Amino acid sequence: MPLAHGHPAGSAPGPAVLLAAAAVLSAVAAYLAAAARLRRRGDAWPRARDAFFGAGGTALAAAALAVPPGGAFTAHMLQHLAVGMVAPLLLVLARPLTLLLRTLGPGRTRRRLLAVLHSRAAAWLVFPPLAAVLDIGGLWVLYRTPLLAATHHHPLVHAAVHAHVLAAGLLFSLAVCRLDPLRRRWGLAWRSTALLGAGAAHAVLAKTLYAVPPPGTGFPAADLRTGAKLMYYGGDLVEVALAAVLAVQWYAAAGRAQARARRHGRPGPPRRP
Amino acid sequence: MTGPERPAARPRRLRSMAAAALIGVGVMAAVDEIVFHQILAWHHFYDRSTPAAGLLSDGLLHTAELLAVVAGIALYADLCRRRAVAAAHARAGVLLGLGGFQLFDGVVNHKLLRLHQVRYGVDLLPYDLAWNAAGLLLLAAGLVAAVRARRSPGE
Repeated sequence: MPLAHGHPAGSAPGPAVLLAAAAVLSAVAAYLAAAARLRRRGDAWPRARDAFFGAGGTALAAAALAVPPGGAFTAHMLQHLAVGMVAPLLLVLARPLTLLLRTLGPGRTRRRLLAVLHSRAAAWLVFPPLAAVLDIGGLWVLYRTPLLAATHHHPLVHAAVHAHVLAAGLLFSLAVCRLDPLRRRWGLAWRSTALLGAGAAHAVLAKTLYAVPPPGTGFPAADLRTGAKLMYYGGDLVEVALAAVLAVQWYAAAGRAQARARRHGRPGPPRRP
Repeated sequence: MTGPERPAARPRRLRSMAAAALIGVGVMAAVDEIVFHQILAWHHFYDRSTPAAGLLSDGLLHTAELLAVVAGIALYADLCRRRAVAAAHARAGVLLGLGGFQLFDGVVNHKLLRLHQVRYGVDLLPYDLAWNAAGLLLLAAGLVAAVRARRSPGE
C-alpha cells in the first residue's frame, strides 16, 4: 500500500522533520550573519548570493514541512525536485564554502577545512562524471530497486535516502557550477558532458516511471504519470538553469580573454579585416 | 570594455550561422513540446511501443536540445559583443535549425525510433507527410538563404 512519502496528510510533522527544518533555517541565519559581517568589514559580497541561499534553505524547509497537493507519488516527486535539484543549485550559487573560508579567521579550523577541500578525495568527488553517477545513479537505485518501498516502512532508511538525495544533489551542482574554491578545476567540456549525461539519464528514468512503477509500490496509474511528467519537465528546468550557469561563465571568460588580447595590442583573431 | 568608438569586427559567418542554428533547433523543439505535446496533446509522452534504445537516444537528444539553445544564445551574445554578427548568415542558420530539427523529429524520432507518433487514432500518412514536408520546406528555405548570404557583398 502506498503511503505518503513525507508524512501522512493531516498529521503533524514528526520531531525528526522539525529538527531538520530547524537545522536548515539556522544554516540560513548563519549564512546571512556571516555575509553581513563580511560587508561590514568591507568585502564585496553580492546580495544575490544571500537571496540564493535564503531561497535554497526555504525550499528545503518547505519540502520537509509542507504536504504537497496531489497523489502520494506526485507529492514525493515534488519533494525530490526541491530537495535533490532546486535547493542544491540555489545553495551552491550562494558559494557557501567561499563564505565559510572568508569568515573563519586563520587557525586550526580553517586549515582543516582547506585540507579537506584540497584533498585528493575531494578532487575526485567533484570529478563531474563521478558526481553525476553518484547523483543520478542513486535515483536509479531508488526507483528501480525495492528501496523506495523500504523507505515507506523504515524511518531510518527514509531519512538516509533523503540525506543522500540532498548530498548528491549538492555534490553534482558543486561539480558542474565550479564556483567554490576546490583543488581540481575541471574544464567546461567535462562539466557540460556530465550535465548532458545526467540530464539524459534523468529523462530516461522519468519516462520509464511513466509506465512502470518502482518495484514494491502500488501507486495509482494517474498519480504515477503525473509524478513522472513532473520529474521529466522539472528536471528540464533545473538542467537549463545549470546550463545557464555554464554559459554565463563561458561568456565572462571569453570577454576577459578578448580584453586581454586588446590590452596586449593583438587585434584578437577575428576582430579586424 | 565595449566602447562605442570600437570599430566593428569582420563578421564571422560560420559562427553566426551555427549559433543561430542551435537556437533554431531549440525553438523548434520547444514548439514541438508546447504545441503538440501540451496544447494539442496529439503526441504522447510515452506510448509504450518505444524500444529501450529509442528511450535512451530520446533522453540524450532531449537534453542536448536544451543545452543547444543555451549554448546558441551564449555564442550569439558573444558575437554581438564583438560586433561580429553576420546577419544574413544568422537568418539562414535559424531556418536550417528549425527545418533540420523538424525533419529529424519526423524521420528519426517518429519513424526510426518510434518514440511516439504525430497523432493517435487517425490515418497517420497525411500527418507524417505534412510534418516532414514542413521540415523539408524550412530546410530548403534555409539553404536558399545560406546561398544568398554567401553572395551578399556586406558579409
